[in-house]
Amino acid sequence: MQSKETSTPQIKRSKLPKQIRQGFGIIVLLLILWRLYLVFGVEQEYTVDIWARLLISGLVIGGVYSLIAIGYTLVYGILRMINFAHGEVMMVGTFAGYLVLEATKSITVPTPDNSLLSFSNAYPIISVILAFAIGMLIAATTGYFLEKIAYRPLRKAPRLIPLISAIGASIFLQNFAQLLFSPQTRDYVNPDIISRGAGWTMMINDSKVILPYTGVLTFVLSILLMIGLYTMIKKTKLGKAMRSVAMDKQTAALMGIDVNVIISRTFIISGALAGAAGVMWGLHNGLVYYFVGFLPGIKAFTAAVMGGIGNIPGAMLGGMLLGLMESLGPTALGISYQLKDVISFVILIVILIFRPNGILGEALSEEKV
Amino acid sequence: MKAMKFLAVFIVLAMLLAACGQAVATEAPAAATEAPAAATEAPVASGAPEDVCAADEWGCAKIEPGQTIKIGMGSPMTGGDASFGIDAEQSGKLAVADAEDFNGFQFELLAEDDMGGAEGGAAVANKFVADPTLVGVAGHLFSGASFAAAPIYEAVGIPMLSPSATNPGLTQQGFKVFNRVPFTDAAQGSAAAEFIYNELGIRKIAVLHDGEDYGKGLAEIVKSSFEGLGGEVVEFMGITSKEADYTPVLTTIAAKQPELLYFGGYTQDGAVLANQMKTTGLENTIFFGCDGTFGTDFLNRAGDNAEGSYHATPRTPPATPEKDKFDADYNTAYGVGPGELSPFSWNSYDCVTVLITKVREVGFVGSDGALYIPRSALVAAVRGLTDYVGISGTYTCDATGECNIQGPQFHKVENGEFVAVN
Repeated sequence: MQSKETSTPQIKRSKLPKQIRQGFGIIVLLLILWRLYLVFGVEQEYTVDIWARLLISGLVIGGVYSLIAIGYTLVYGILRMINFAHGEVMMVGTFAGYLVLEATKSITVPTPDNSLLSFSNAYPIISVILAFAIGMLIAATTGYFLEKIAYRPLRKAPRLIPLISAIGASIFLQNFAQLLFSPQTRDYVNPDIISRGAGWTMMINDSKVILPYTGVLTFVLSILLMIGLYTMIKKTKLGKAMRSVAMDKQTAALMGIDVNVIISRTFIISGALAGAAGVMWGLHNGLVYYFVGFLPGIKAFTAAVMGGIGNIPGAMLGGMLLGLMESLGPTALGISYQLKDVISFVILIVILIFRPNGILGEALSEEKV
Repeated sequence: MKAMKFLAVFIVLAMLLAACGQAVATEAPAAATEAPAAATEAPVASGAPEDVCAADEWGCAKIEPGQTIKIGMGSPMTGGDASFGIDAEQSGKLAVADAEDFNGFQFELLAEDDMGGAEGGAAVANKFVADPTLVGVAGHLFSGASFAAAPIYEAVGIPMLSPSATNPGLTQQGFKVFNRVPFTDAAQGSAAAEFIYNELGIRKIAVLHDGEDYGKGLAEIVKSSFEGLGGEVVEFMGITSKEADYTPVLTTIAAKQPELLYFGGYTQDGAVLANQMKTTGLENTIFFGCDGTFGTDFLNRAGDNAEGSYHATPRTPPATPEKDKFDADYNTAYGVGPGELSPFSWNSYDCVTVLITKVREVGFVGSDGALYIPRSALVAAVRGLTDYVGISGTYTCDATGECNIQGPQFHKVENGEFVAVN
């Protein structure tokens, strides 16, 4: 079984000779460098404060992408399938966090000064922790049942079948949320102290640059979660079991590892990370509706591929890189923002030309083959 | 494994069959709609209704006692634009609920999901024309779907009245059946550019759009009109709709210091832009929206950041009792305010109501107790709409099917309220 699995997916690479492919890559690379030279060396239209603002927004969105990308990579590493419903798991987390914050806002905790003080403003830290905890819990549960209902029955099926099942699950979750919450877009209600737009003000080049609280929260929390996950994978028993299942299911089972339990837990972990990303997205960007997981899901998948799918540090790196490319790319290359996805994908192609398995992908996949 | 393969093949075959089924169905409607006309030709001697129907280019819709008079609606009800379709359906349902019986016949709204695109538009239109009791279509909502659907209705004489399809080309195809109540993007765009240049005295603007047909078309017209007047457009850019983080775009625009930011698109993105402008160095730049960003929803989402922004609407009769009644009904029935799901709640209500009104004008009960609605008379009656006062504006259709020739009215947000400024 194992040998069959590894021999069939021999991806047929492009028929073009390697030199032509790499030549194409180098031409694109030179074009990009030329544009960079024009923008930075000749035009010099943008000042440092502009770049600082762009950098901040790139790091924040990069953190969100990284967390979601880890979910794709974990599942791919273990099951060799792309969980296309992962963006929807994030959406579920966003909604759960929204409902918690709405609830804490509607509870009033009267104080002598203010009889209408809401719980979320009286105890903002508790409210936000609660939102993250419940968002992660609900998203993890969704991930667990997603695997149990949509993927486990198809474990032995050819590889395309679970993929179709994943797309189906994604459509199901979207429409379920649409029916449950109506298609209207809702606003995330942040506690007042971390309201969107508020932040530390820095003066760069005589211009106000705001470092938003929600952005810092998103970035720091995503880094902490990633460090936590990485330590867990490297140091704990569960992490060891996950790594061995990823390497070889059969042998892992022979060594006494319950493969099904490990796969379930993988989905729970990736769901929890997506849930956290969802609540961050809501707190920072402020919108929640049934389609909210679609774009970040696709982007994070791209990030996972860019970093080398199946590789956890690769997903983190890919997410950050994609976030930065999206926010800095169009300005740095002097191209319209509507084309930012084009820029990201051109860079993705260039990366894949030189590193066909992603930036950090090579070592791991060789190990696997 | 084998069973799985079989299942996959079976599913594919089933899909193919379904697709063919639909194709076959498209042939049927022509025959189906001929049928009533043919049937009525036989008893010519018995009375006038049959003469009318025989003389009518497309025959009559014959509604037997017990059947309902159906008004169709094609709109996206799933996917990323679902809120538009669901809003239109909800408004349309209220319009049908407000309509009294016509000689004992009830009206019914038949809303179908066309997903906004051409394929869906054609599929829904084919389904509608197969129903002999369907007399008019309030839609389709999106321009793409309307382009595909109009020729299908044209063949059988079902009048369309769209609440929101604003692509200028739609009324230039010579369709007899297609009409719409919103003003075109061309009319709004040039009016906005003139207003900015002449009334506000601003010479340096940036133009953003959401990349969709409506927003982009509008933004392009604003850009060319404004440059035609002698103004400077420092930046013209598209954003990815519903992405929720536009700080990089706004930051780049801020470097060029425009006095005003024009946005072609909808409230959801517009409100996010208005909010994020305050943190990206565009604090002193005016936000100028369009009819897609008008509504209390914008005020709720943007809060204080909405102050001083401009938006457009059709020229409305100021708060009529009918409009207040609709607003209250909508809120009671669906738990959200009209205009929150899409800006076209009021237009949708008007479109359905106009069709119902026109059915009343041309329909008559035959000697057999059935209701006859001569189709070409209905098509002509909808096109002949004159001085109709609805809840979203006053409408008169011209010869091409443009029913709003008054152009837009601009509003400024002052102290959390919309104030008309021209």
